[in-house]
Order: sequence, then C-alpha cells, then structure tokens
Amino acid sequence: MNFIKRGFLGITRKKGKTLILLAVIFILGNLISGAVSIQQATGNVEANIKERLGAAATLELDYEAVEDLSEAEWLEIENIGVDLIKQIGELSYVKYFDYSTSIYLGSESIESYQGDMEGEIFHSGPSMDYKLNGINYAPVIDFEEEKGKLIDGRVFTQEEVDNGTSVAIISKKLAEKNDLHVGDTFTLDNAVYDYDEETGEEELITSRDVVLEVIGLFEPQSVKEQQEDNADSGMLDWMDIEYQNTVYVPNEIVASENRYHWEEYSKMDEEFAKMMEEDENAFEYFMPMFFLNSPEDSEAFEEEVAPLLPEFYNVVNAMDQYDSIAGPMESMSKLSKYVLLVAVIATVLITGLVVLLFLRDRKHELGIYLSLGERRSRVVGQILIEVMVVAVIGITLSLFSGNLLAGQVSDMMMKANDNQDEYYEEYIYFGDTQIDLTTEDVLDSYEVSLNLSYILGFYGIGLLTILISTVIPLIYIVRLNPKKILM
Amino acid sequence: MILEAKDLNYYYQDGEERRYILKDTSVSFEKGKFYTILGQSGSGKTTLLSLLSALDSPNSGTVLFNEEDIKKIGYEKYRRNNVGIIFQSYNLIPTFTAVENVLVPMSITENEIPEDAKTVAYNLLDYIGIVKSKADRFVNKLSGGEQQRVAVARALATNVELILADEPTGNLDEEMEQEIIDIFKKLAHEHGKCVIVVTHSNEIALQSDQAFHLRKGVLSSYE
Repeated sequence: MNFIKRGFLGITRKKGKTLILLAVIFILGNLISGAVSIQQATGNVEANIKERLGAAATLELDYEAVEDLSEAEWLEIENIGVDLIKQIGELSYVKYFDYSTSIYLGSESIESYQGDMEGEIFHSGPSMDYKLNGINYAPVIDFEEEKGKLIDGRVFTQEEVDNGTSVAIISKKLAEKNDLHVGDTFTLDNAVYDYDEETGEEELITSRDVVLEVIGLFEPQSVKEQQEDNADSGMLDWMDIEYQNTVYVPNEIVASENRYHWEEYSKMDEEFAKMMEEDENAFEYFMPMFFLNSPEDSEAFEEEVAPLLPEFYNVVNAMDQYDSIAGPMESMSKLSKYVLLVAVIATVLITGLVVLLFLRDRKHELGIYLSLGERRSRVVGQILIEVMVVAVIGITLSLFSGNLLAGQVSDMMMKANDNQDEYYEEYIYFGDTQIDLTTEDVLDSYEVSLNLSYILGFYGIGLLTILISTVIPLIYIVRLNPKKILM
Repeated sequence: MILEAKDLNYYYQDGEERRYILKDTSVSFEKGKFYTILGQSGSGKTTLLSLLSALDSPNSGTVLFNEEDIKKIGYEKYRRNNVGIIFQSYNLIPTFTAVENVLVPMSITENEIPEDAKTVAYNLLDYIGIVKSKADRFVNKLSGGEQQRVAVARALATNVELILADEPTGNLDEEMEQEIIDIFKKLAHEHGKCVIVVTHSNEIALQSDQAFHLRKGVLSSYE
C-alpha cells in the first residue's frame, strides 16, 4: 500500500471525483489541443513555404530609410558595384551567385508569345515585349533553381559571358512561334523614343538592331505547374507570358544596349546628359542574387554582409517575403496563440481550483498519512499520480477531439478567407522578379494533421499545464498540521 | 525507560501574557505497562499526548524515546518507526477496507515488515477481533467498536513498542470500552508494549498499572 498504489486506489475508489476531474481536463484539453493543432499547422506552412522560397538573398535599398532624403542626397547614394557583389559571392555561405541587369526591347522581325491572351492585349505605345535578362553565371541560375529547364541546345560558356558575345537562350514557345531553332539568329530593336508631355505621343528618334544567335531553348517549370493548378488565375498567365518572352543574354549585351539607349536619349535632354556625365555608372544597375548553401545560413550571411554594404542598403532574404503573403495564416496563428494562452491560464486556474477543493475534501485522509509519519513529498506524489493519471487519459482523449475541432474551425476560417478576394492578389516580389507563390499556395499547404510533433507538443503543453495547476494547491499539503486535523 | 518527558512547557501567547496548557511537566514511562492520563476537558491531556506522539512540539522541554530526543530522531521518522497512535474518532481512511487501512503504515514504516504483509495484517486484525470477512469490508461499513479495533491493529502494524491512545473509548458503549481496554492490557502485559491512554474515565484509570492526573497543566500521580 505504498503511495503509488494509494494514488491508483484514489482514482478507482473515488469515481465521482475522478470523472469530474476528467471532464474538466478533457474540456480544457480540447481548447489547448485545438490551439496547438493550429499552431503546428501554421508553423508547418511557414516552414514549407519558406523552404519553397529557398535560401536566396539579394541586396536592396532600404526604401523606408531613403524616403525622406532630398534629391541631392538621393544622387549621392552609392550603387552596389560588381566588385562588392563578387566579394560577397566569395563568402562560404554562398552556393552560387549572379548579378543581372535587364532591358525591355521590341522587335519587328519576330512575334512575341501571348499565350491564351492572343489578341486581347492592347498596347498604348510602342511594344517592348522582350525582356533581355542579363546573366553573369554561365550555367544560368534560373535553370539551377528550376525556374526554367534547358530542353535544347546549351547554356552559355564563361567566355561568351565575359566577352558579351551576342548569343541568347529563349523559350521553346517563343522559338516555335517564330520557327526559330538552335543556331538561328533573330533581331530585336533597341528603339529610343522621345515622349511629348503635351500631346502624350512618342516619337522614334533612333534605333539599332540587336542580333542574337539562339544557343539554347528553355521551358518554364514552376510557373507552368502553377498554371495547371490555377487555370483561372490571370496573374499567373501574365507571369507565364513575361517569362516566355524572356531572352537570356550575357550581362554585357544588356549593359551595352542600356548605354546606347541612355546616350541617345541624353542627346535630346541636356539635364539628363549632365547627370550621366556626373556618374557614368549611374545606369549600370545590377541586381545581385545569392543562393546560399542552406536556409539556416541566412542569418549568418546577413550579419556578415551588412557591414560591407554602402549606406542605405540591406540584405533581403527570400524567406522574409513569406510575411507578405501570409496574411490569413498570420491571423490564424495569432488567434490560436491567444486561444492557447487563455486555455493554459484557464486550465491552471480551473484545474488548480478543482484540485484544491478535492484536497480540502480529503484533508482528513492526508492528515492520517502525515500522522503515520508519511513523508510530505510522498503525499504530494500520491496526489500528483492521481491527477496526472487522469490528466493523461483526459489529454489523450482531447488529443483526437481537439485535433478534429481544430480542423473544423480552420476549414471555417479558410472558407471565410475564400470570400476575401484581396488575398489572391498577394504575390511575392523578390529582387526584380516575382516569385510564383501566392496566398492561395499558403492556404493550400495548410493542413491540420495528427503528426508526431503535434502529439509531443500537445502532451508537453497539456501535462505541464496540469502539473503546474496541481503543484500550486499542493502547497496546501505542505502546510497541513496533522494534530489540528485529527485531534 | 522507553519514554520520558522533561520539563515540558506548552503555552499560547495572549498579548503580553502566556497561557500555559502544560507547565514544567515531567513524566516517564516503562515498557510492559499500561498507563492512563486522567483529566477534565481542557486540562491539557490531549496536548500532552500530541507532544509525546510528536504530532506537535513543545515551547520548551524535551521528549526522550529510549533516551534519545525525538526532535533529534525527527518527528516524522519517530511517528513512522517508533509509535502507534490511536484516536478517539478512529481516523481511518473511509475509501479503504479494514485490511488496507492496516497495510498503510506497513508501507510507510522503515521497520522490518514480513514479506507477506497482507497475511500479517489479516492475522493482526483477527487477533484484535476482526475476522477476515470483516477485514475486507470498507471501514465505514463497520461498527464503532470494530473501527476502533481496526485503529488499534493499525497502531500495532509497524511492530512498535509504544502505543499512544487519545480517548480511545470515548465513542464506544461500556461493553465495547471494556473489550478495547482488555486489548490494551494484553498488549502491555503479554507483549511488553508501553500503552499510554489519555482518558477522562476513572474506571479506565483504575484498571491501569499507573495513572496520572493532569489539572491546569500540572501532572501528578493519581491515587
């Protein structure tokens, strides 16, 4: 009849008390379980989406910091130079890196890909359908990161990149539309227009041909998959069209066309020409992109890079962009956090009160144990066994029902979000590109499930809460005086 | 000498004044004897018993068990291993059977307990007059006399030499009272225990080997 056996006898011999305690723990356990389920599910979504966002980082102006600068101060802001990009690219956290610049060009000799929107697009000026995307990393980072896949021909050689050779990789669909093959050449127009503010008309000043040889064909990967899942989404169509009309070329080609464009333009605009003279690199703006070995390196990378950057620049991690599409998830996570907090406090108070009432009811019995010389620690142990065994049963029952409840509540909240169209317009922009993840992806990856981390998390929080709520009233036992109780 | 109280003082502080329950009380007890401490209600006899059983501690003075201060032994340990206490209101655990009540102190004590504790408990109850069929009943299904017998068996369960009883027959009829007193005499005279009973009954006092009288906190021999 040691204290452990007495504890178990206390459970079976006092059935009414046991059932009341079980009911209290079960009800409160459902609240905790539901909140933990939602917490786990939102946490999983965050991890999942961040993994899909990848371990990429770029350098950007801190727009909030430069908001209040004067025009003169703006002009003093340094550009991120190629040397600095290369220096950062050499850091051990970086798997590979690239820096690019881009320009939009038109063409009279080839037709752009318009997908399902053929004939629906209205141009209010000269058409600049082709995005010349400069690269410095010869194997092309977009292919390494599976945004696109090379399906014919080859990627660039480092020599072509370094020399700025007129070679290009275009999409398969653009090639098919214009009957282009690997080895063929095509021509884009770098046209410079003058814009008349009074009439709103644009007048062609000059133009030059940009002749490029096709060395490879690519097919978009992730955008295509997304499009199959979300056939109705117009935004994804636009993203697809832009990528299909992207022409990968060495950076030097883009830089050369940019220079030509601005030099020709400055011939008509003296103020602009003066600005160009003051800072000849002002229009050679490169967007760096660093792909890290692991998402865990993001923080260390940021810490190491920050001191190297010119004033007003900071490191932006792709994972940070999660917040911009996580609206519904954040509100659900916040709500569950509050529910969890309230449930834990309520459990501590209510269970504590119930245990205290039971202890008062059993004062006589506890006094007997103490009069027989039982150690107070063992009396405390006996009560803990009685409460914790019931708690394990109650928590195990609420593990399933709370999870089920959380699933129902989440479904209701998801349906409420379904009716709020604005969430579907939230897209991630990272660097100069749009990442093909939307709020819908976030909602789709949300799933309340009965996994090990949820089970462990819930048992941990649930049992710890009950333990705390039992330990507090147990102080009562420590203060018991057997003489006052029994004599 | 199994138990000795030396200069025990127990008082309540009432403002500047001390209200003595026990004043300079000294007394000693031997093994194999049945003692009674007689006194009116409020005379301090229950307080004296609570000090001798280490359920309370004196303001000054010492209680020696086998010439060792019980404070030094440790009050809890002393109760666990050296003394069996019997209360007027039995103080049994109502959700346990009679035999389970007897088994409780056997699991608490550090004294050597035979392996088959349950058989020992049944035998002990049988010796006290509780047959097996009653030993398996919940104690609140037993009569007052039977409950007190269970309480006596519980006090004996740890094989202690000292039995302290506070008004053990206060709730019993005369016939049952005598049966309990006979058990105490048997325990003292046949089993060498030291039995100390606090009572207000002259009849019980007359049956003891030595009786003390407690009046206004002062203990004296009862003639």
